[in-house]
Amino acid sequence: MLTAEMNEELTRVGPGTPMGELLRRYWYPVAFTRELEDFPVTRTRLLGENFALFKTPNGRYGILPEACPHRKASLAYGVVEPDGLRCSYHGWMFDHSGTCLDQPAERDETNFRDRVRADAGAAQEMGGLVWAYIGPAPVPELPRFDVYVMDGVRDVGWAELPCSWLQIMENAVDPHHVEWLHGRYFEFIGRHQGFTAPASFGKKHEKVGFTAFEWGIIKRRVVEGASEEDDDWKIGHPLVFPYNMRVGGGGIEQMQIRVPIDDTTTRFMLYTTHAPDGGVFGDQPTVPDYEIPWRDDNGHHITNYVEGQDIMTWVSQGAIPDRTTEHLGRSDIGVTMLRRMFKEQMKIVADGGDPLGTVREPRERIDLPCEKNKFHAGAGFALDFMSMGSTCFSPQLEELKRLHIDAAARVQPQAAAS
Amino acid sequence: MNTARRPAYAADAEHHRRDAPRYCPRCGCDLVGTGIAVEFWEGTNRVFHTWCAACRWTGDITPMTQMVGHEPEH
Repeated sequence: MLTAEMNEELTRVGPGTPMGELLRRYWYPVAFTRELEDFPVTRTRLLGENFALFKTPNGRYGILPEACPHRKASLAYGVVEPDGLRCSYHGWMFDHSGTCLDQPAERDETNFRDRVRADAGAAQEMGGLVWAYIGPAPVPELPRFDVYVMDGVRDVGWAELPCSWLQIMENAVDPHHVEWLHGRYFEFIGRHQGFTAPASFGKKHEKVGFTAFEWGIIKRRVVEGASEEDDDWKIGHPLVFPYNMRVGGGGIEQMQIRVPIDDTTTRFMLYTTHAPDGGVFGDQPTVPDYEIPWRDDNGHHITNYVEGQDIMTWVSQGAIPDRTTEHLGRSDIGVTMLRRMFKEQMKIVADGGDPLGTVREPRERIDLPCEKNKFHAGAGFALDFMSMGSTCFSPQLEELKRLHIDAAARVQPQAAAS
Repeated sequence: MNTARRPAYAADAEHHRRDAPRYCPRCGCDLVGTGIAVEFWEGTNRVFHTWCAACRWTGDITPMTQMVGHEPEH
């Protein structure tokens, strides 16, 4: 339970708000690279502001506020030229740094051009996504987390959800929901719709734990039949502050991304790299992406797959839940810890420091801790994950299943021989 | 007769606002607006998980109405 003021502070992400200032210290995926290959300029929205994202012919990405500094027409309808983006209205031209290069209708001898700047951000590509930073200088390094740069077969599902990103992040430190939402409820829906829900999700949680670390919070659990020696506790998996959760198991490596588009809209993305031991990975010139359906034709939530169940709970909590009348228990201490962490990091930013997870030195690859033997379920987890999760909507579902089955067949004879 | 319904759990929200700690128990700094106090319930206890932005003290504060002890079996 929080005061209304605290709930407001934690959920407002626009410019000038404490949370908005904190969130502006991080890079976000704002487009797929294929979008800018199809057409070199697009509109994107992030943290309550609109931007024009563009790619010049030399392959360099740029991001500028959507409104042209001249008369506020949309630069998302601009002309991409070798040196930058030109407004289609009167031809004002801006480079990647926001410097105004041209004002065709103004006389050359004035210095008007030098007095106008677009408040440019930074943009670059990684893992088939275009990433943007719209915060203050100096621009931090783009964190090269393992799933984006490792070998494997990539698959990205996404959905735009009408709710705050915060309640989705709170879900990331709520282990108990798994056995109920993805266990008991899944089994109930399966019984009525004629399928068998995966047993591994319904295991009772004997114990949960949370550890702060350099990238966020490691979430741990002991499920029935397991012990503290098992991966779910000994390794766990992390909430990657402030808007990601790293999960995986059985050769599946995934980042769950929750981009705050504005106070009440979140771009939810499941960036998955399939990399089973023994897997053979071909080239992927374009990273495939697909929209995850979460409502049916009647407007009802689709809850017969794992992430559809999560989405039902996030969206049904309301655009911004009323945390003044919630009732947290001891089982919600992860949620409590996360709220405290946000306040701590807001304070660091207000004092002029770098918040948690800021990268200042280039790093080729950042490996995150993540359990391999998920839910103590063995190799069967990968097939359950694909059949019963959002991957069931992937256009490459059958190829992915085949990848895991073939990889297991290659590894098992070797294991038997050793 | 006033038949207007009160918002669900309004009384709990009022109690939270009334009882959440306002000052840090270690340094005495104002917690409202700078620190945070998240309330959770455990049995009959109301627990305020608290963080002070001034001295960075973190801890749980539990209001009590009576002291309850346990006598070992004998």
